[in-house]
Amino acid sequence: MRTENDSDGLPINRAKIMVVDDDPDLRQALSLRLQANNFDTVNVCDGYSAIAMAQKEHPRLIILDLGLPAGDGFAVLKNLQEYPALAAIPVIVLTARDPESTEKRTLESGAVAFFQKPADNEELLGVIRACLRTGWEKSGSSPS
Amino acid sequence: MMEHGPVMEHDAAKVLLIAEKPEAADLVRLRLVESDCRYEVNCVPRISDALACLEVETPLLVLLDLNPPHSHGAESYRRIMQKAPNVPVVILSGQDDEPMAIKAVRQGVQDYVIKSDITAKQLERSIRKAVERKEHLLAIEAARQRQLEFKDQFLSHVSHELRTPLTCIHQYVTLLLDGLAGPMAPNQTEHLKAVLKSVNQLHAMIRDLLEATRAENGKLRVEPRCVDIGELIRQAVAMLRATAAEKGVGLEVGVDQTIPLVYADADRTLEVLMNLIDNAIKFTACDGSVVVKAAMVETDPSSVYLSVSDSGRGIVQEALPRVFERLYQDPNAVDGNRTGLGLGLYIAKEIVTRHGGRMWVASEPGNGSTFSFTLPLYSLAKLLAPAITHQGRLREDIVLVRVELTPLSKALRGSWKEACQRALERLRQCVSVDKDLVLPPMESGGAVETFHVVASIGMDRVNILLDRIRDQVGALLKQKVNGTLRVTAEPIPGPPAADPRTVEQQVWGVADYVTEIIQRSGWSNTHFTEKENHENAH
Repeated sequence: MRTENDSDGLPINRAKIMVVDDDPDLRQALSLRLQANNFDTVNVCDGYSAIAMAQKEHPRLIILDLGLPAGDGFAVLKNLQEYPALAAIPVIVLTARDPESTEKRTLESGAVAFFQKPADNEELLGVIRACLRTGWEKSGSSPS
Repeated sequence: MMEHGPVMEHDAAKVLLIAEKPEAADLVRLRLVESDCRYEVNCVPRISDALACLEVETPLLVLLDLNPPHSHGAESYRRIMQKAPNVPVVILSGQDDEPMAIKAVRQGVQDYVIKSDITAKQLERSIRKAVERKEHLLAIEAARQRQLEFKDQFLSHVSHELRTPLTCIHQYVTLLLDGLAGPMAPNQTEHLKAVLKSVNQLHAMIRDLLEATRAENGKLRVEPRCVDIGELIRQAVAMLRATAAEKGVGLEVGVDQTIPLVYADADRTLEVLMNLIDNAIKFTACDGSVVVKAAMVETDPSSVYLSVSDSGRGIVQEALPRVFERLYQDPNAVDGNRTGLGLGLYIAKEIVTRHGGRMWVASEPGNGSTFSFTLPLYSLAKLLAPAITHQGRLREDIVLVRVELTPLSKALRGSWKEACQRALERLRQCVSVDKDLVLPPMESGGAVETFHVVASIGMDRVNILLDRIRDQVGALLKQKVNGTLRVTAEPIPGPPAADPRTVEQQVWGVADYVTEIIQRSGWSNTHFTEKENHENAH
């Protein structure tokens, strides 16, 4: 299999992705799909564990639901910014909420992309790969 | 709800009396003084005075003498009710004007009294009843409003809750179909495909439910841009080609190549086209055909006419007026097609209406149906006129500002699109609303986004504007996206000293000039090289 590398020279294959969703079935299905696409996954079910797990595991990317117990998705986005080690991790929001009312706020809160459930698998994987390839730089970082 | 208590309370109740003739005013005053309640009467002669009073104070009630000479019957109480919709109105009528007074009550006035036989008791009772009746009406209206809000919240909540299990089904079905849980037998794959099809239908219904609610509340968002309608039709047809082929239905396109740019929301228009084409395929039998056309019509040069015709079984005469209604479903859908919620055509028509267009249908049972709609053509002159003219003359200094946003090679598509949208909003805040115009952006296939502003400012001072744009839009880009910004300006030559043309013609001239420069530099922006972008990066 072809090995893709991102800008830091880290391979995309086996990149660790953290899935944050309170629905255990959906978490599992998403993990299975990610694993089938050569990613490693860590799953958490609430906002509090998301931060704790991110500190412990340092995932390369986070897929985040918005409606979560113990700190909703927006709280997670805010908390991530407060830890220098976590602030640079790209976050893709995957939620059942209406994009009309939440997409803008999500992106302004620091997420790199917004998907409404159910999302198209290929499109989601495409954005995940793009994020990992660019070594996405978040707020405040200069492009050149 | 009214802030005042009932008429019987201790504070004097304020009554605004509109009576042109002093004798009418005096009569009413007298009767009010005689009554058991305390009234504070403010008497004005004209409707215009009354409107001014209502501006500063809300009375308990308005008493309107229906024959003030400076106003016209129905017009006068309509203006009062429009100005103060929460204040009850009682009409003072002459004996001969009673029919008009009755008509007024039907149109929302609370009550009327005949001036010639007016008594204190009668007037007092009329006032009390009018106030009570208005309170009830307002309470009903408030309850209706609460109910509507509840309905919105309910639908939004339901659609959110339905999406969660639907997502789960979608994920597991696609996992199985993609062979990620082991190999599948061919018939198992077929069964799962049927499940997936239903999941997608359910998904579409949930989406329609929310869209229809938005349409109903006038909250359907439409962001017009300059679009190539032929390209949109080709996109819609390409996406539905497989569906048509599967059913054995022919799909043809006839687009008049001379159609100018259309001023429409590309995503929304695509939604309308796909809805109509998908419907046409659905109601056409094997070996039939669907034709999508776009053309100009001589009698209406400011619109483009689009139509989707099918050779299906057609619609019966009685059903024609109802097909655009919410929840309308074809009662004769017998061929196993699920019709969905019956919201598609309703939403499509709303989208077209929001663009300022029209949608209609012509059909004959057995001879197929044709759904047609219009969209406005893009007219730069029409948009420019208010900005570049002042007191009936063309402004002296006009410049064209170009703002180019370039993503660094690997920016994410979705985020970039969103960032460009926000950059456009920010750009609109940078310019003066009455003197400058941010041109509607061209729908471009490439990643580079170009915005243009026609600004009424001299080249000597244009740097102030350019710097503001660089600051505001640049800050947004740096902060959120890996992209670069380039802002430039060039003057638009003014008309010659003795220009025989009318202002309208001059505006046309400017519009043509602007269109030419923009087109010359290529709206598609494909000629920009990576090097240029970086050199000009801020």
